[in-house]
Amino acid sequence: MKKKEIKTNGVFFDARFYSPEAVKLAAVVFSGRLGVSLKKTAQGTMAVFGDGEESMAALRGEFINEALNQQCRMDLGRKNSRLARIVLTKALLAACGDKIKSGGKK
Amino acid sequence: MIQSALKAKANKKISETKPPHFYWARLGGRVLLTNDAGCSVWLNEKDFRSLLGGGLKEGNPSFAELSENGFIRTQLNFDDLSLKCKRKEAHLQAGPGLHIFVTTLRCNHKCLYCQSGAINQASKGTDMSWPTAKKSVDFAFESPSRGITIEFQGGEPLLNWKTVEKTVRYARKKEKDEGRELGLALVSNFSLMTEEKAAFLIANEVSVCASLDGPEELHNRNRLYAEGSSYKPTVKWLKYFSAKSEKQKGENRVFRPSALLTVTKYSLGRHKEIIDEYVKLGMDYIFVRSLAPIGYAKNLWGTIGYSAEEFVKFYRDSLAYIIELNLKGTAIKEKMAVMMLKKIVRQDDPMFVDLRCPCGAGIGQLAYDYNGDIYTCDEGRMLAWEGDELFKAGNVFKSKYAEVILSPAVKACAAASNLEIQPVCFRCVYKPFCGVCPVYNYEAQGSLWGSMPSNERCAALKGIFETVFLSLRDKKSGAVLRSWVEK
Repeated sequence: MKKKEIKTNGVFFDARFYSPEAVKLAAVVFSGRLGVSLKKTAQGTMAVFGDGEESMAALRGEFINEALNQQCRMDLGRKNSRLARIVLTKALLAACGDKIKSGGKK
Repeated sequence: MIQSALKAKANKKISETKPPHFYWARLGGRVLLTNDAGCSVWLNEKDFRSLLGGGLKEGNPSFAELSENGFIRTQLNFDDLSLKCKRKEAHLQAGPGLHIFVTTLRCNHKCLYCQSGAINQASKGTDMSWPTAKKSVDFAFESPSRGITIEFQGGEPLLNWKTVEKTVRYARKKEKDEGRELGLALVSNFSLMTEEKAAFLIANEVSVCASLDGPEELHNRNRLYAEGSSYKPTVKWLKYFSAKSEKQKGENRVFRPSALLTVTKYSLGRHKEIIDEYVKLGMDYIFVRSLAPIGYAKNLWGTIGYSAEEFVKFYRDSLAYIIELNLKGTAIKEKMAVMMLKKIVRQDDPMFVDLRCPCGAGIGQLAYDYNGDIYTCDEGRMLAWEGDELFKAGNVFKSKYAEVILSPAVKACAAASNLEIQPVCFRCVYKPFCGVCPVYNYEAQGSLWGSMPSNERCAALKGIFETVFLSLRDKKSGAVLRSWVEK
């Protein structure tokens, strides 16, 4: 997937491949390690990294991977959400047993 | 009209030759195929290509096996496949069966890899009181699970013996009153075990489990005990409970004790010595468990940690040695392999909370802290001890059962560990048998869902699955492994 790089301490994520939400989620995952400010444009999302203790080169790569991971997860969620919901609902309802009948208040 | 009907007919033919949904990987010179029913088949490259292209003929030697296991679209036995799915995914209909009671945070050991947040034994205010324990038992019995296991952990649970004793009596009475199936287990280092306590545990059918990291010098290096050798009481009481189990006369079931191995960097290359130690003690099982970067282990990772690759080598060498021992007549099994084999060979659910979809957090297990706080699992509780309460699901005094099960923590763990929406996992050949851990992902990678391409737990599990599958394919090794899960 194409990313147009503008600054060494930032990455531009092309809107044709990356939703702003995926980049935002990647920024949240990285929040414990460094600050990331996001700027949304019609062409995509610019992520600019703040100061951190770790190597910027390694962090950039990891951040791009995380954004890709989030985008894939969202795409997959759209494709498989029906099946995923069935599995999830079955597991939660079974764990609740008959306690769910009273709206979770029993 | 006629043209579109012909087109539809042609499309139907194509779809009929197309194999149904399956997972695959090239492994050891062949192709391994698996499906959601937990069936697996090995093919050579030529047959694999024929299957994909829809050209595999009925006369092909692999055809019958593929057909029997649900890989031929026109010959799917839906009754058989759905039965296998239901059996393999029995946890989806069970509810929380494992209830971990942190009876105290105090401990007289300071193990290098401790994940329990143990504190000095002289500390105060971190013992589970009897009212909290009683309320926790009541809460555990709210679970719809037919079988309930209460596991006493710590710290060192024997440091709060009075509460353990009362809880055992109360839970056994409740079991009888309510007609439930109750298992009780104590995880201890045995340093404070006495004949009197042992007799009580045996009389009440409480199984015991201890950590055993190998020969004395290695065990003591991992498990620091200020009052001397940690190894000596561990071995003494493992032998004691084993002897009692062998000589049992029938009134109570005396379970064989079990031991847990935690692999640290110091264990690498020493698999034979470690396994021989278990054999020497007459243990039925050894559980080759990798270290997780949680708790004290996270801070000491540089000293005691290792890569997934190093662990997989250790596991591969260990399993090969265990199989070799079995072939020579020594009966000992590796627990992780047994749990995987139950799924792979029998399409059964071993109810292992760490390896299922969704993971067992909250829906398969609950951890009760000394103060009554409830967590999705013991690892989640450990994180709270470090100040992060993300995995807290409620409190026995304040929360209703359904509120805990439907808490944001439980729902988030269940959603994040759903392999159907986990990139990489959803198409992995081991998906029908595997599971992810949101707590591990959160600690190691900063999010509940993690990122599998760089996830060390994933790499280690892939290595273990690969080892098990390749061993199963080998005639001699496969016969040993299959014998471990024969009914």
